[in-house]
Amino acid sequence: MRLRRHFDTTESTGIDLAPMLDFVLNLLIFFIITAVFVKELGIDVARHGGAASGPASDKETGSISLVVKQSGEVLVDGRTVDARAVRANVERLHAQKPDWGVMVTAEQNAETGLLVQVIDQVREGGIQNVSFGTSSR
Amino acid sequence: MRSRRHIDPEGEEHGIDLAPMLDFVLNLLIFFIITTSFVREAGVTVTRPQTRTAVHNENGNILIAIRSNGEIWMDRRQVDLREVRPLIERLHIERPEDTVIVSADKSAHAGLLAEVMDEVALGGIQEVGIGAGSSEGG
Repeated sequence: MRLRRHFDTTESTGIDLAPMLDFVLNLLIFFIITAVFVKELGIDVARHGGAASGPASDKETGSISLVVKQSGEVLVDGRTVDARAVRANVERLHAQKPDWGVMVTAEQNAETGLLVQVIDQVREGGIQNVSFGTSSR
Repeated sequence: MRSRRHIDPEGEEHGIDLAPMLDFVLNLLIFFIITTSFVREAGVTVTRPQTRTAVHNENGNILIAIRSNGEIWMDRRQVDLREVRPLIERLHIERPEDTVIVSADKSAHAGLLAEVMDEVALGGIQEVGIGAGSSEGG
């Protein structure tokens, strides 16, 4: 009996960590489950001619104009080119005017897939300064 | 000395010492709290155009999806175009550093994409990306 009492006092010097550990483990499992590690892929483009854009201020430097039509045609500076030839055309124009940006204007009903493909090719062609707008109805 | 030896095998040693495990678990917990980004998923899957120059956007946590039939999905529900702006305003106040990725279906109309991007910009988030797939990553 005397020995027992002595033994009890030594044991109660430490805090019982088990409930805290349970709680922390639950919290950990919650965060593991809610964590999303997949980062979305995206291409950053500016807008022009929209409701939110201010007055066009970058007019001192010109820009290469691309038009994406509803029919699937792509126009580079007014000339119809193949969708796969956009990159070559942009590279050529970029070599002539290195400080120019690109304005991609899409028709209202043009397909987004084609639009993104065109923007992608422009970026591949070396111009990161791409803005995107739509032609008025 | 004899009494000490008597106590050890019976009392103190019979439980596992939880302290190192607790340290480890707490570190793990802190790691997950910090890396959790609470992405606002759109709630639908769209066929995104394949690109080669798409980049990962670290803060692109608000996702808006435009389906080919013109439905706009945001925060796991379908929303109207006019709802996008107040929703973005609210999310922008909650987490000001978040940016938006608008994922439009391949066959969605560019006009609608532009309108959604305008609404997002009017809602206060100027950095808007167009969601894209990677043709290399698959």
